[in-house]
Amino acid sequence: MHSGKLLEASDLTKVFTKGQGFVRSTIEAVSRVSLSLDLAKPEIFTLAGESGSGKSTVAKLILGFEAPTSGKIWYRGRPIANLKGTKEFMKDVQPVFQNPFETFNPLKKVQSYFFETERNFAGSAQGSYPLTEKSLELVGLNFSEIKDKYPSEMSGGQLQRASIARALITNPALLIADEPVSMIDASLRMSVVNLFKTLKEEQRVSIIYITHDLATAYYISDRIAIMLRGQFVEVGSVKKVLDNPLHPYTQLLKSSVPDPDPRSRWEEDIALSDLETREYTRRGCKFAGRCPQVQKICCEGEPDYHAVDDRLVKCHLYS
Amino acid sequence: MAILEVKDLQAYYITHKYGRSTSVKAVDGVSFQVEKDEIYGIAGESGCGKSTLLKAISGLAKPPLEILAGEVTYNFDGERLDILALNDEKQRRKLRGARISLIPQGSMSVLNPVRRIRKSFEDIIRAHLDVSAEEFEEMVRKHLDALGLDWTVMHTYPHQLSGGMRQRITIALSTILKPDIVFADEPTTALDVVVQRGVVQLIRKIKEEQRSTLVLVTHDLSIHAKLCDRLAVMYAGKIVEEGEVESIFSTPRHPYTRMLLNSLPKLGDSSARSSAPGAPPSLVNPPSGCRFHPRCPHSMELCRLEVPELLEVGSGHRVACFLERRGADAQRQAVGS
Ligand SMILES: Nc1ncnc2c1ncn2[C@@H]1O[C@H](COP(=O)(O)OP(=O)(O)OP(=O)(O)O)[C@@H](O)[C@H]1O
Ligand SMILES: Nc1ncnc2c1ncn2[C@@H]1O[C@H](COP(=O)(O)OP(=O)(O)OP(=O)(O)O)[C@@H](O)[C@H]1O
Ligand SMILES: [Mg+2]
Ligand SMILES: [Mg+2]
Repeated sequence: MHSGKLLEASDLTKVFTKGQGFVRSTIEAVSRVSLSLDLAKPEIFTLAGESGSGKSTVAKLILGFEAPTSGKIWYRGRPIANLKGTKEFMKDVQPVFQNPFETFNPLKKVQSYFFETERNFAGSAQGSYPLTEKSLELVGLNFSEIKDKYPSEMSGGQLQRASIARALITNPALLIADEPVSMIDASLRMSVVNLFKTLKEEQRVSIIYITHDLATAYYISDRIAIMLRGQFVEVGSVKKVLDNPLHPYTQLLKSSVPDPDPRSRWEEDIALSDLETREYTRRGCKFAGRCPQVQKICCEGEPDYHAVDDRLVKCHLYS
Repeated sequence: MAILEVKDLQAYYITHKYGRSTSVKAVDGVSFQVEKDEIYGIAGESGCGKSTLLKAISGLAKPPLEILAGEVTYNFDGERLDILALNDEKQRRKLRGARISLIPQGSMSVLNPVRRIRKSFEDIIRAHLDVSAEEFEEMVRKHLDALGLDWTVMHTYPHQLSGGMRQRITIALSTILKPDIVFADEPTTALDVVVQRGVVQLIRKIKEEQRSTLVLVTHDLSIHAKLCDRLAVMYAGKIVEEGEVESIFSTPRHPYTRMLLNSLPKLGDSSARSSAPGAPPSLVNPPSGCRFHPRCPHSMELCRLEVPELLEVGSGHRVACFLERRGADAQRQAVGS
């Protein structure tokens, strides 16, 4: 049943407990999320959405770093639960973590991550690291810029690029990149994003690209899923979803993308969500508290997915 | 009136390894002024020295970062002090937190993982003020309210919060003492656009309520466009262009600034976009003359030989580029005549 799929995740749910005592609450950080990537057709799949909506948690579930509370994930038709930690899986599925300052151990030289990866997965001989040098160059770094350095001796963007370069050493089939370009300037950002495109097109690498930057998402991805409080609220081709968003939350996201034009400042204040946990534990639609098109039913029942205009939308407006 | 004057600042990372010393020339001859109550933005290539500049001017330089030259003068209510000349660490620490506050890059990770958020607030407040438990709670509650944060976050540990929440808490922490000047290094990184806008709103609110001045480093040019009064563009340890935000966006003068603005992708446009050719230069052996010359499409002989000065080319707009020299000369003549 999973043949032909590189990755298949079905009905993933992850429950977390937050706080203590009487402020203790449980949330579904990921709630019945399904996604699949074809083996035959590599693609860039973007996960976008509010901070704290469960994007990184989805990444951790796929990488096997967290076990789902319920639901299943298969990689090339085999359950991740059995694969995680195996050399084959670790070589094939590479992560780029969200915060480069937390990715690298401050007491360890940055190069050692490269050397270990290259020795373990590419079998390069001790003392010679051709892949390290090559992959660093792909992200605009030179080996001499990381040589003998500790993480604190590099800039944020340099660390972030190093983190991407490390992931490329093993020649992965699936790259899970969590906000990989958040700390680099617009010009280098384009070169990394162009690199992702080339990887997909020429080396058939599939990429799960987690980002808040809808402009680069539009530029490189094939499909996009918009996440809100643990749920996918709109999923479809990136062009469809961003050119003409249907879910009111996607509409809010799109209209909040700032244009780099100082003549139109942001004047009016926007309503921010109240405490995350409150939206997470809300009955009905999670967006009801902020939705300009809210109806009575939105506060009562959870919306189903509706197939509209080549995509899935989880909203009562389309029932 | 300028609240901060930086003059010819030079800050290098000097390391000694294997009997050789290397210096990374991260800040190399930087001068600028920040006016009271303004929002001053700094943009620039990854690794060009922005974070180092903030560290140096907030008096946080420690080995291997060394200040080789320059002055950093603050002007608080008519009292002038050169932070580099203060050699008493205690005096400096008092200044930081109460007067100057730095929100470091990647600061979501500076929250102590084994302490509840409440403890972090207690630490910072108790270090500077003598308040009772009630006063503490009232102070924090008011501040959190203004920032749209809920009191219950006080009981959580950092890892239980999402990135966006942690970032807002770090901002709350660094502004609770109402500093006169806040340096924020990439405060909106990795936040979704809605929360980003919320953070911008928050920063502006803090600025208005507390009448503080803000220096903002970010790669996000749209944030600069929406928030800043003036903008400086750095390249390889130097400021290459500075001016009012409107003027930089409408008439960028430096070839690097132009490249940066041109590489911005637009939503709804997936036509191929290119980035600046070549890689960021080494700051150990930076290129001679204008440091951008190896990547510049307009490079001339002169650019390889001499370092262009940052000169005024129009009202408050300064550029360090030989192509602009004629404009600058004309300007000077006009002022002189
Ligand atoms: N180990 C944990 N224990 C408790 N709660 C957690 C844990 N990890 C994540 N959460 C919560 O789960 C929710 C989703 O978090 P996650 O980090 O996946 O969001 P995100 O979409 O990646 O956010 P951001 O864009 O800010 O990185 C948040 O409310 C977060 O506080
Ligand atoms: N402790 C250190 N020792 C040696 N070199 C360092 C040290 N810290 C930073 N550097 C180098 O100094 C240069 C400037 O770093 P800085 O962190 O100021 O850059 P940045 O402009 O903030 O970059 P980013 O936008 O990527 O955060 C970089 O080349 C970096 O590698
Ligand atoms: Mg995340
Ligand atoms: Mg930095």
